[in-house]
Amino acid sequence: MADQYPAIILLAPLFAAIAVSLLGGRWGSVCLPIVLAALGLSLAVSVALLGQVAAGGEVVYKLGGWPRPFGIEFRIDPLNALLLIVVTTVSLLTAIYSIRAATTETPDKLPQFYTLFLLLVTGLLGMTLTGDAFNLYVLVEVASLTSYALIAMHSKRAVLASFNYVIMGTMGASFYLLGVGYLYIKTGSLNMVDIGEILRGSGLYGSKTILVALMLILVGLWIKMAFFPLHGWLPNAYAYAPSSTSCVLAPLVTKVTVYVMVRMMMTVFGPEYIFSFLEWSPIVVWMAVIAIVAGSIMALAQINLKKMLTYLIVAEVGYMVGGVWMANETAFVGAFYHVVSDAFMTLCLFLAAGAIIFQTGKHTIPEMEGLFRKMPWTMVGFTIAGLSMIGVPPTCGFFSKWYLISGAMEAGHWGYVVALLFSSLINAILFFRIFEVAYFPKFDPQEESAEEETTGRAGEPPATMLGPLLITAACLLLIGIFNQEIVTLIRQAVNTFGPIGFIG
Amino acid sequence: MKTLGAIAVIITGALLLYASEDFPSWGDPHSPANQYRVSSHYVQNSFGETSVPNMVTAILADYRGYDTLFETVVIFTAGIAIIAILRGPIDKRVRLRLASERKMRETNLILAQTSRILVPVIQLFALYVIAHGHHSPGGGFQGGVIFGASLILLALSFQLQTALDRVSEKKAVTLAAIGILIYAGIGFVCLLAGGNFLDYSALQVLMPVGAIEARSHGILGVEIGVAFTVAAIMFAIYANLSSHGRMKGGL
Repeated sequence: MADQYPAIILLAPLFAAIAVSLLGGRWGSVCLPIVLAALGLSLAVSVALLGQVAAGGEVVYKLGGWPRPFGIEFRIDPLNALLLIVVTTVSLLTAIYSIRAATTETPDKLPQFYTLFLLLVTGLLGMTLTGDAFNLYVLVEVASLTSYALIAMHSKRAVLASFNYVIMGTMGASFYLLGVGYLYIKTGSLNMVDIGEILRGSGLYGSKTILVALMLILVGLWIKMAFFPLHGWLPNAYAYAPSSTSCVLAPLVTKVTVYVMVRMMMTVFGPEYIFSFLEWSPIVVWMAVIAIVAGSIMALAQINLKKMLTYLIVAEVGYMVGGVWMANETAFVGAFYHVVSDAFMTLCLFLAAGAIIFQTGKHTIPEMEGLFRKMPWTMVGFTIAGLSMIGVPPTCGFFSKWYLISGAMEAGHWGYVVALLFSSLINAILFFRIFEVAYFPKFDPQEESAEEETTGRAGEPPATMLGPLLITAACLLLIGIFNQEIVTLIRQAVNTFGPIGFIG
Repeated sequence: MKTLGAIAVIITGALLLYASEDFPSWGDPHSPANQYRVSSHYVQNSFGETSVPNMVTAILADYRGYDTLFETVVIFTAGIAIIAILRGPIDKRVRLRLASERKMRETNLILAQTSRILVPVIQLFALYVIAHGHHSPGGGFQGGVIFGASLILLALSFQLQTALDRVSEKKAVTLAAIGILIYAGIGFVCLLAGGNFLDYSALQVLMPVGAIEARSHGILGVEIGVAFTVAAIMFAIYANLSSHGRMKGGL
């Protein structure tokens, strides 16, 4: 059975989605147990698979039993094994959170919500697992279509934001597909490893078609991951989505797309083509610097809590793209460690924001007065996430920034170092402003008591919301404490990236 | 904004032209896509390995069957997405108004009688296309679309309700889910029978045929699954879009 693990990870949510859509209409109460069981199984198998990969190296799973390059295969190395755990954990925690959130936000469409939710997770897992360039496009479509629908299920504004996302997302996917088509014209293969070998072996580095293919694929993926200035769709889509939707989309979609970019760079095109032959590293790192600064400044201008968080995602995407493109091993390790830790940081922030909005009905930062007293545990989770975003040890945010900055120093890219420090400073301003507002209650005691009567729900959110939030906050500390183990795994993968590897 | 868009379009177009300079010439039998071992393997061995004369079907449903499974999931997702977005709770007032609207609509005699004759023929042809995917152009997607079109014709020439009486929206979603269940289920049975996911040759333990024939039967099974999903979702999407998600009235 152990050699079937990769398939089981993907099949559990897929079959659960079918079961929910078949049974959910008649017996609504079976949805949730199915969702939780499937995601739990997926998580357990992902952990087992990581153990397998860490011990025995790369795992290849041939779908349909066809060997490379005739069929489609899954390829699992430590990087995507880690990401599988991140995806399943985040979606499981969000599923628990959605017990209350989804029943209030989309009460009459629960079966559809959970079907789409599970298909989204299936799509993201498939994107992470696959070793085939065209198959990746199919799973990107599954993940995108479900996200469009999940966002649009909420309100009128969400429908508009989702429409915007549909247009941008379709453009991104088309660019990617066109790029894969160009690769196929020159190589005749769709398997990622196979394309990489052909590019290296048959002297295609000078080909104009391959160059344009790389540009098309990169632009497509950058649109999908909201890399500044292609981020236009993200803030509204994530801010107006139902809270359980934004909790699963915000941490996962951008991170999985960053992973896909890594796969394309390292396996398909190869580091020697991108870093030694083209020497694009400085250009893209400077683009990342602009993304970090712009994202941080735009976050500073927001008073809506969720909107502010979405602009922070834009800045964080800049961190990861910059780190990956630094052409330096330490920076790459930092970037991928940041993929893992940022998924949990974003999840923690969105869970906390969702819980606050659910309890108080208030969306803006100035309205958050006295929250530390009303919902202390929620704010504990929010504070840990905020400190991690700023980069205070021992949270994971500190370690990822540490690796990123030391990598940038090794590579001698001081612009990126300054941008990272600048963004940490902005994060400090942003979060301490919230802490200050939330720590002190309103000055006028009469006004406050009157307000508590009108809002009705005050105090801590239900346990199904608070639990995932606190578990995520604990994860932030655990990922920080066990950073050595995670970094060892990432280094194990980096060592397989080809003969030249990284400069420096 | 318009200028920005124009600049982006011009740059992209220029890049595409720049890349095409390096393309192999049109229809060149020695181009990488034609010469590399993947396509030549398919051309030379697909019948021997899958016992399916139609090479396209062999690639679509077997060599790259996993892609096709998720293409089917994409169609299913599109249907669920449209239902999730458009479908709202129908309040009584709207329902009454729509009921009165319905009375006013009359069915055209010629249209109704023609489609009454056509629909069974179309559906029979759809089944033929599905079943004949092994030997001629066709298969689950094409046959499913034709079958879905027959239901849409029914709704167009009579009323949406006429078609919904035969296949309600709930039934359509159930059928679509069953389609994916058939596809993924066959794949999973392969896994239980000792092969990898979607390795139909493992089905030989359940059938009195050899490994290669088992692949051919597996392909037919998944094509039927695809047809279920495509036909049901085609109709569900039409029903939702034509009635603004109210499932009453229609075009």
